[in-house]
Amino acid sequence: MAENHQKEPLFSVRNLVVDYHSGDSIVHAVNGVSFDLAPGETLGLVGETGAGKTTIAKASLRILPEYSVERIEGEVFYDGKDVLKMNDHELRKLRGEHISMIFQDPMTALNPVKTVISQIAEGYKTHHNCSKAEANQVAIKMLEMVGIGADRAEEFPHQFSGGMKQRVVIALALACSPKVLIADEPTTALDVTIQAQVLDLIKSLRDELGTAMVLITHDLGIVAEVCDKVAVIYAGRIVESGTKEDIFDHPTHPYTKGLFAALPDLQKKVRRLSPIEGLPPDPCEERRCCDFYDRCPYKCGHCKSYDHTKAIEVSPGHFSRCWRTDATKEGE
Amino acid sequence: MTKYVIKRLVIMIPLLLAVGIIMFTLMNFVPGDPAQLALGSGTHTAEEIELKREAMGLNRPFIVRLTEYIKNIFLHFDFGTSLVTGTDIKYELVKRFPNTFYIAVFSILLTVVVGLPLGIYTAVHANSIGDKISLLVTLLFDCMPSFWTALLLVLLFSLKLGWLPSSGSSSWKYFILPTIANSLGGLAGFTRQVRASMLEVIRSDYITTARSKGLAEKDVVYGHALPNALIPILTVIGMRFGSMLGGATIIEVVFSIPGIGQYLVNAINNRDYNACTGGIIFIAFTFSVIMLLTDLLYAYVDPRIKAQYVKSSRKKVEKNA
Amino acid sequence: MPEELRRKQENHERGDHPEHRRGGDRHRPRRKRQESLKPGSFKYVWRSVSRNKGAVVGMIMLAAIVVLCFLSPYICKYPYAKLNMMDSYQTPNLNHLFGTDEMGRDLFSCVLYGARYTLIIGLLATAMSAVLGIIMGAAAGYFGGIVDSCLMRFLDIFQAFPTLVLAMAFCAVFGTGVDKCILALGITGIPGFARLMRANILRIVNMEYIEAARTINCPTWKIILKHIIPNSVSPVIVEIAMTVSRNGLTSSSLSFLGLGVQPPKPEWGAMLSAARSYIRDYPHMVIIPGIFIVITVLSFNLIGDAFRDALDPTLKN
Repeated sequence: MAENHQKEPLFSVRNLVVDYHSGDSIVHAVNGVSFDLAPGETLGLVGETGAGKTTIAKASLRILPEYSVERIEGEVFYDGKDVLKMNDHELRKLRGEHISMIFQDPMTALNPVKTVISQIAEGYKTHHNCSKAEANQVAIKMLEMVGIGADRAEEFPHQFSGGMKQRVVIALALACSPKVLIADEPTTALDVTIQAQVLDLIKSLRDELGTAMVLITHDLGIVAEVCDKVAVIYAGRIVESGTKEDIFDHPTHPYTKGLFAALPDLQKKVRRLSPIEGLPPDPCEERRCCDFYDRCPYKCGHCKSYDHTKAIEVSPGHFSRCWRTDATKEGE
Repeated sequence: MTKYVIKRLVIMIPLLLAVGIIMFTLMNFVPGDPAQLALGSGTHTAEEIELKREAMGLNRPFIVRLTEYIKNIFLHFDFGTSLVTGTDIKYELVKRFPNTFYIAVFSILLTVVVGLPLGIYTAVHANSIGDKISLLVTLLFDCMPSFWTALLLVLLFSLKLGWLPSSGSSSWKYFILPTIANSLGGLAGFTRQVRASMLEVIRSDYITTARSKGLAEKDVVYGHALPNALIPILTVIGMRFGSMLGGATIIEVVFSIPGIGQYLVNAINNRDYNACTGGIIFIAFTFSVIMLLTDLLYAYVDPRIKAQYVKSSRKKVEKNA
Repeated sequence: MPEELRRKQENHERGDHPEHRRGGDRHRPRRKRQESLKPGSFKYVWRSVSRNKGAVVGMIMLAAIVVLCFLSPYICKYPYAKLNMMDSYQTPNLNHLFGTDEMGRDLFSCVLYGARYTLIIGLLATAMSAVLGIIMGAAAGYFGGIVDSCLMRFLDIFQAFPTLVLAMAFCAVFGTGVDKCILALGITGIPGFARLMRANILRIVNMEYIEAARTINCPTWKIILKHIIPNSVSPVIVEIAMTVSRNGLTSSSLSFLGLGVQPPKPEWGAMLSAARSYIRDYPHMVIIPGIFIVITVLSFNLIGDAFRDALDPTLKN
């Protein structure tokens, strides 16, 4: 894990800010998120629903719905170039070929009126400027790789089950062997047995192709299984980031600690789970202090005046947004 | 697929029968004596009228006349004779049908040729200035009664500019204004429907997927969004075609084009019930056939519906084997 | 009142756990705001509609037409029916704002008076189709089975005609006049409402929240009253506005064809029909009534559009 830090980042996000407009109010979905991803590395973005994970993913490919985005600021570097400043041509080359994405809901992510094979082959054909037959061959190879027989290639998405559709989506995302794969809750819409299969598939394909991956999830179990680094997102900010070991073994931010506390422990007999009390803050409101203040069991007077936009390096590579890392450690 | 076609055809037969029965029954209860109408204006003695009634078979029981009428229509395609002019109604309808049909076909062609690209453009460039202007104009056109549009067009192009004839049907020139007048309202509505349908599709997840593959915007719009948006639009086109067939009636009256609509309006105003029933049933038949064709086309284009029937037939083959 | 009820329900759903209540208190400002934004409440719909520029324009135009229509006997110098052959064929001038027709009737007065035909026919015919259509559709959707198939097959017959031709057929049967016209349009509009309502009921009955309500032992009358009706109301409201505008167009078309309201009653379609002969020399006689048809239809369309946007949260971007 340690050598990962020395690697030059392949993909990095710097101070990403995304605001939506919804009705009359402005939703601050992402408020200054930064992270790096080295080649071959897997970063887990963990957070609850509405924390801004999907927005980060979509902003990285600039596929946010234009009609509802109020502003995007910051930088998204891929291979030294800022994705947010690319022209259409560069952007098209980037999408699919260098960075591609697995979507959350396989049910709606596939075009219902096109055959599966044509949807997979299309991306390859666009990027490699090859014949249709060649692209189809690649598509069939991809389908077989994700465990779908060539005989089903000519079928339409509605003829597939949910898990099979997600496999198609994965094949589609990996068709051009991208350097970076953004997997947005790839298993959330699937049932548990299929979840494990799909996750194994993603893992093995990642290892096989050497793809760097951003795995977005709210499932800490998946993070533990797949990721090298973890960033915990809360209300559009990364509250804590570091290696998997840093986060799992020495969580410092009260929110991270809360997440782990909420997990059922197999060893201990517990009557009730201990949830984090309260609700995340309203994303429409500007916040002057720590996002977690309202729900934090460790809060004190200083939390209000503390500069909540700054992260503290707890140990090398392990950052936390809570200034009371000492206090929270004592609580362990 | 054949199974679906047969199923739909079988459903259509009782429907058309019902249309015939209901129209005949309704017209039968309309006040006014057909015999008197058939004798023409002037005074007639009760005897004369009674004789005429007997000759026209009006004194037979209703159910006998109904069966005979329906039998004539469905087996011989015979609508009887006009009460007022005494001519064969089928002959009149068939002679006039092309005019009505041309107006409807030209109108739907104009609607699709203009409305489809405009709808796509406004959806792709939603909230642009072009979109806003188009929305405003279509909103206005949508509210204009077609006969008023027709009168305005006549006023401008026939009377003021003298470019196009205002009445008659002797060459293609005579169909330009009727076509425009008949399609303008529908065109506006159609454009808005295409825009809405396209907009919904453009905002769906699979379009994001297509973008994330790195496709060019035009491939995303025409390759992915349009085929999906077109499926509901096909039904809309069918329905518009049907309503343009109905709308042609009023346009024919404005432009004095001898079509079925004009015949029907004259028949109603002259209380010529035979001609009226015949005309309405004829239009209903044409309309139903168009709707049927639309449905079949819809089933053919949408892989989801198509697959239902393909699958079920495949299953049967497996069962048999 | 609905506001109150919902809050109660929300509290109920959240449970009476004291922790929760405290959590709720801390976030009070946020809750309050969300509540006022919750789609479906009357306040929300009203706010959304009244902020829609089109709807405001539509409502103002409609209000103006209604007021002018009922005040026309008091503000018009000439009664609409008064003939004055000396003043025939006048183009618009200060004395006759919209000019006069071939009989010297004041067109301003005629047009204003004529609004009541379009409004009355449009509204009453729509009310008739809505009431009958909703009952039939709800019965078909609720009882299903044979009732459903019988009603729907019956309505299929209506569907075999273009709307205008169906209305013409009924006019032929019933004869001419305002009441007959209302009847013809009212019957013509039934299938639309019936289908809408049936689809609504079927959609809602199969929704999971109905199942959820059943599982917590919610009585049937309460499910119908609290879940099915509120959720099926919005498409019906939109359909009503659209049908009124469509009926306005169709009634003027019928009158134009001589099948609806007959001249000399100043129905706009009938006026246009009479004015056709003078289009070459006196185009104002054709242009003015048409403009009023457009304005009336447009205002209902705008209001209907605004309601659709306000009532259908999925269309919001």
